Amino acid sequence: MKPSASGIRRSIFARDDDTWSSIAARELAGTTTPADTDLSGTVEQLQSWNMHVFMRPAAPADSPRAGNPILPSDVIFLEPPLGSAS
Amino acid sequence: MFDLIIRNGLIVDGTGAPAYTADIAVRDGRIARIGRGIGEAKQMIDAGGKVVAPGFIDPHTHFDAQLLWDGHAKPALTHGVTTIVPGNCSLSLAPLKEKHRMKLVGMFNQIEEMPFKAFKEGVEWNWETMDEYLQRIGKGLAINVALLVGHSVLRLWVMEDAAMQRTATDAEIAQMQDLLRECLDAGAAGMSTSFVDMDETLQPVPSRFANAAELDALTAVLGEYGRMLQIVPEFYDPDLTIARVDQLAELSLKYGIPTTFSPLFVNGENVNGVARVMARVDEQFARGARVWPQVQTRPIDISFSFAVPSLLFIRLRSWYQIMRFGSHDDIVAAFSDAERRKALVADASSLNALWSRLVLRQVNSDANLPLVGKTLEEIAALRGTTLVDAMIDLSLEEDLDAHFLAANMGHNDDARVSELLKHPLVHVGASDGGAHILSFSTYGDTGYLLGHFVRETQSIGLEAAIKKITSDTAAIWGIVDRGQLRPGYIADIAIFAADTIDRGAEYYVQDVPGEGSRYVRDSVGMDTVVVGGEISWSAANGYTDAQRGEVLFRT
Repeated sequence: MKPSASGIRRSIFARDDDTWSSIAARELAGTTTPADTDLSGTVEQLQSWNMHVFMRPAAPADSPRAGNPILPSDVIFLEPPLGSAS
Repeated sequence: MFDLIIRNGLIVDGTGAPAYTADIAVRDGRIARIGRGIGEAKQMIDAGGKVVAPGFIDPHTHFDAQLLWDGHAKPALTHGVTTIVPGNCSLSLAPLKEKHRMKLVGMFNQIEEMPFKAFKEGVEWNWETMDEYLQRIGKGLAINVALLVGHSVLRLWVMEDAAMQRTATDAEIAQMQDLLRECLDAGAAGMSTSFVDMDETLQPVPSRFANAAELDALTAVLGEYGRMLQIVPEFYDPDLTIARVDQLAELSLKYGIPTTFSPLFVNGENVNGVARVMARVDEQFARGARVWPQVQTRPIDISFSFAVPSLLFIRLRSWYQIMRFGSHDDIVAAFSDAERRKALVADASSLNALWSRLVLRQVNSDANLPLVGKTLEEIAALRGTTLVDAMIDLSLEEDLDAHFLAANMGHNDDARVSELLKHPLVHVGASDGGAHILSFSTYGDTGYLLGHFVRETQSIGLEAAIKKITSDTAAIWGIVDRGQLRPGYIADIAIFAADTIDRGAEYYVQDVPGEGSRYVRDSVGMDTVVVGGEISWSAANGYTDAQRGEVLFRT
């Protein structure tokens, strides 16, 4: 994304089989506490920045995406809303 | 000898130029001359004291189904709208395999609130391809149509059920590209997609299972034709909307196409967010991208009864499940069972601020007639009950046919809305014409623009407002030879009284196939509407037999 003078939240498009964990591992590893080796804290943080996905019902059990609410077309924010505390 | 002369009208030519008095002569469907004393014609219209403007173009509609039984797109034409763009929000009725018909009907029912029965009784399913659909609606058109092809429909055709489950393979994307080319060759005006909508099972529509590479590949095809990409962004969140603006900008720059997103609402809660969205739009236009935000003119009003599912309840899962999937008897049973009712009332009480503002707008029984026009708060007080209980009781007493109105739900701050409408990069549209027919009237937005924002609040000039809904729209969409009053242009013309033009009151009418009803508004102050050089409607004589509407982009 092109940097903007108007202040744009850093984001990515989800990849085909992305889960919260895969995004956290790929995009945010090492950005939270050093002790967070299992990424659980990072996943929770990521979810809190992406309530539009987190609050969505997960795909039904008979879906290839069962249990995963992330869609391939989703925008996933990698930082909190600008001006808010992380 | 001309075919038609419109005499002594105040010409507002659609370019934004100052109005002037003149005559307009029409020959062979096109404007032949503009001036004074320009000769004789077979038909004359005295437009003295009235405005003569190009016909209006409505860029966001869902008349896809209605056009199958109504080539006038009633009552849009009576409001001066001479060109409509159906096929928005990833949904079109073509291309469509026979086996997918009911799936698409389900999506139209869920997203656009088009009744099942209207499809069942009003539609003769005799097409599959875009070409066949356009041939079908092209017979008997009294209004011009620029049709988008829906991304969800392309996926359904190529991927079958997998369209609602996964990303496409490279081979499937290539098939979708070929199918899109076929549609554009047949006369589609572009493609629409959605990042928001849900299907009839409350799962995301097929377009939402597309990854960025698929959208890129399809946009590359749009680039071959220079045609429009329309999207529905996550409009409730400015950050998400900005991300979509950026996505559209990259596609626009990469493939040289116009893009548009709709809707964009402004209200007291999101003023700063909308300002940030518009700042980003400004920045992207400065880079050379074309990302047109669509803004509707009217405030948000929603009506409902429990006879049909209403999107107003989508935030209340327990209610919406019953409304969406329950029969009439199921809903009555749920409301009548003490325990289930108690749970529903408890769930709904979180929205008491909303319920208190509801107005009872229509009932069938004489007993409840005196309550029509009162707020639910007033009725609850009269009956000594809660807001939600009053709503349930009235619905049971009326066999679920009690109608409630939630008026001015948002987008109703005149100063902020008019500031947005005046922005040079804002595309006036997003009427949703032909959709949500059981929730609100989607007709008359142009009358509201001209009556409310031009005449009453004087926040935008007449010439500027007309330009927004005519030549600006034509330029954005690449619609040639329309949108202006100038010699050589096609004679799509609206004649109206500037001192009375408006939208009429909303009312409920049974004119949908299958004994269906809908909310509509008649025009006020509109005098005559000319399409392709012939009078299609006049206040004096109503609709005519003229069928000069065309499918645009179809060669």
